[in-house]
Formats: sequence, C-alpha cells, structure tokens
Amino acid sequence: MAMKATRGYRSGLVDLRVGEISREIFVNEDIYAEEQERLFARAWLHVGHESQIPKPGDYFVSSMGEESVILCRDRANRIHVFLNSCRHRGMKVCRYDEGSTTVFTCPYHGWSYGTDGRLVGVPYFREAYHSRLDKEKWGLVEVAQLCNYKGSIWATWDPAAPPFAEYLGDFTRYLDLQLDGWDGREGQAEVLGGVQKWLVPCNWKFPSENFSGDTYHNISHRSVDLAGIGPSGASRRDLGERDASRKLHVCIPDRGHQTIHYVLPAGQLPPPAYLNAPIVAEYFRHCEEERQRRRGEEARLIGAPGEIFPNTALLSRQPRTMAVWHPRGPHQTECWRWFFVDREAPSEVKQFLRDYYIRYSGPAGMTEQDDMENWNYAHAASRGTIARRYPYNYDQGRGTAVTDYTYQGLSVPGEVIDLTEVQSSEQPMRNFYRRWAEFMEADDWSQLATWRHQRKAAE
Amino acid sequence: MTGPVNVRDLAPGTSIVLVDGAEAEIVDNPRDGIWLFARYLSSPSDPSLVGQEEMIFAQNVAAVGR
Repeated sequence: MAMKATRGYRSGLVDLRVGEISREIFVNEDIYAEEQERLFARAWLHVGHESQIPKPGDYFVSSMGEESVILCRDRANRIHVFLNSCRHRGMKVCRYDEGSTTVFTCPYHGWSYGTDGRLVGVPYFREAYHSRLDKEKWGLVEVAQLCNYKGSIWATWDPAAPPFAEYLGDFTRYLDLQLDGWDGREGQAEVLGGVQKWLVPCNWKFPSENFSGDTYHNISHRSVDLAGIGPSGASRRDLGERDASRKLHVCIPDRGHQTIHYVLPAGQLPPPAYLNAPIVAEYFRHCEEERQRRRGEEARLIGAPGEIFPNTALLSRQPRTMAVWHPRGPHQTECWRWFFVDREAPSEVKQFLRDYYIRYSGPAGMTEQDDMENWNYAHAASRGTIARRYPYNYDQGRGTAVTDYTYQGLSVPGEVIDLTEVQSSEQPMRNFYRRWAEFMEADDWSQLATWRHQRKAAE
Repeated sequence: MTGPVNVRDLAPGTSIVLVDGAEAEIVDNPRDGIWLFARYLSSPSDPSLVGQEEMIFAQNVAAVGR
C-alpha cells in the first residue's frame, strides 16, 4: 500500500496549506474501507422524499453508503428508515425498488417484519423456538436519527450526531431553494417520476467535488452549449439572471457544505425564461413575482449546483434535481438522481420540465454524460503506481475567500469568493476535503462538531 | 396425494387446514408466498387459539378447507 498509516490525512494526504491532495484518497482500498466506518456511518445522508411514500405501507429502497435501507411509512403514518437486512441471516428483506406492503418477509427462512420494523412472523415459533424468542429484540435495525426536512428524508446511524438542522448550519437556505416552491412557499417540491440510477467507474468523491461548485470544467460542456439543449433552445439553461447577478462560491467551513450561488441586484427580478413555451414562461414569471412578494430581499438569492457533505448534490435552479453519489467500492459510484417540480404546477409545466431535465441530467442527459466521461477517465488514470505518486492541484483562489461578504445590503454567510470577475476558484473543493479529513481523523462527534467548541470558547 | 398449496392465490375469507389439524380463515394475504394472516376456527391441539388472529407460515398450510 502506498499510503503510510502514520502519515495522517490533513497533514499528509490532504494538504490544504499548499493546495495539494493525494490521489490515494480516491483509489486506495484501505482508505475507502475506512470511509465507510468514519464517514458514512456518522454523517447525515439523504435517503429519499416523502412524496415517494405517500400512503401507509409504501416503501422505497435506498442506500446509506454501501448499506441498503428501506424508507417506509408504517400503518400509523410514521416514516422509518431500516437496514434492509434480516436479523436472522442477513438476507435482504426487500428486493424491490419501491412498492406497498403490509410486511417485509425474508425469502431465506421466512422471518417477517411489520412496516414499523417489528418482527411479527417467525416460522415454527412455537415448535422450533418453543415460543422463547424475544421478538421485540430482533426487529429490523433502524437508523439512530431521522429528519423529515420539508419533505426530504435524511438519516444517520450515529446517535451522537447533531440534529439535522444543526448539521446543515448556514447552508439551510440553499436546501430551502431546492425544496420550497418556486413562488417562495415552503416545502412545495415533489419528486417527478422515478429515480434515475446508473453506475460510473469512478470514486464517489469525483462527482461530490464536481457538484461542490466546479465552474472550471465548463469547457467540457462546450458541445452541449453549442447544441443548445436549454429550455429556450440555446445554450444549456435559461439563466439570464447570471448576466445581472454576482456569481459566488459559498462555503460553510465547519460543516463541509458548499455551492455556487447567484445574488441579484436589489429590486431586480430574473429576466424572462422558457420563452419557447408560453405556458411555462408565464408560470415562472408569476412564481418569481410571488417569490419576491413573500421573501423580500431573500428572493434575490438564486440557487446553483452545490453539495451537502458528504454525497448529496443540489441543483435548485435549472434543471431542478438532487443526486446522491453512493459508494460502490473505491472504483465505482452508483449515481441516483431525483427530479423535482412544484407539486401544484400545471401539468404542461411538469411535462415540459420532465423533457428538459432528462435532456440535461441523468445517464441519458447530455451534460451529465460529459461529466461522467471526465470522472471515469480521471479515476482510471489515477490508479497506477506512478500516477499515485503525484497529487492533484487545488490551488485556485487559495487565500482569497472572505467571511463578511455583502452585496447591496444582502449578507451571505460563510467563506465567500466572488467569481464574477475571477471566473473560478477551488475553495469549495478545499472546503469539502477539509471536512472529509476531519471526519477521517475525528474519533467521534464531540470532535466533529467544531462549531460547538468555538461557541463554548466564545462564552 | 395433494401438492403444496400456493398461498399467494388464496383470497381473504378462504378457509385453510393446517398441518396440525387446526382450521383457520384468511383475513389478509400479503402475497409474499410465505405468510397469511388468518383467524383460528378450530385448534384441536391448542383450543386457546380459537378466535385468535395469527400469521400462518406457508409450510404449515396443509390444504384449502371447505
């Protein structure tokens, strides 16, 4: 193994003082195994959306790290997330992607669980177990904490993790842009259709850092821009507001979340979009007005690609999607992408957006295909003995972030780099890997909740 | 000689005979091919079960009843 165990993460493999990160953290199997324990077993992870399980008995099989989990709604309408593994011999108790059921039955020996996770059926309970098996003790393993945030379901295996809102910190407003209605009403998003799932031969951190806010790779999408897949038939998106806005990188340093972000000038609405589809154009024009009326100054905030640490990508503007990058070994990632619309949007709007989303994102999406090519080949070309000796460069914009960014009266919390003139920075990636290194080094959440230490020191 | 009963096909209201001679009426079928929810109509080996609703394992179903 090329990595020396004594070298440490922050000081060796992730060296942010010089903006260098070792290729080992992407391709080393021991580091990957350690990630499962130290990162995916402790962080809050996105599991699904409540609109995927609207009725009692509905379930959706998801993943937390490598673990298969069942998101389900029990008969009493409570939402649960369970490890999808029978307590008897470990067989998956649910082998479908989604559906509705009264019980989850293990096909191996027949142990059966209610939608509340309780063990309800044990073959030969009287005869072979002599009625002595304690069924209460052998229910499905449930996550330590679950949070339904505006319809999106998040969970963690770690009982010591802070509550989800605290985990988000100042990043909450960016998740709100994803989940609230375009007109500014809270929690109006619903999942459109099914979840697209596909495999990419790369480490999960390639897409995670890309969606953290890589504006540098736009050259990769030049052909898509030229083809004009955008809603109005030009470029990739209708984002006329970009020309009027300040374009920012925003990082929440103690949480590991980061995003691209646009801020409109005071009093300005985004310019018209979707001009080739009058019904859609009118819907969004109306929504923008309503948003400004409801949110006031906050309506100047325009969402863009971002990442909630460790593996959930947001894209709250165009196309409005979320993705999770599930690790499937050090050299493979299973990408899941959810497509969102306002639940009360007219069906013509939903249909138009469906076509646009699919054209852009997912395994058949032209833009996402560009990204996959990069991640795929970058990973493959980093696995060799010689390649591993040479770190990646993350030097762009190092030392230029500010923590008191304000634009025309609107304050933006976090570490901010204004990209409007400089075009690009790698602050989001440095933020991501700084947090990654903290997770890999910290023994528990008493060390990971660094903001609590700062608060205590201030007191 | 009869073959195994395909419990997936049994509708609520159907009566079943169990291997120990008990008889039960199906109240719900999750259609997983392994379990039935049924109410005991008779149980020679344990009369206290009569009237109780239990999950019945497919291997314990001997035949479809009357």
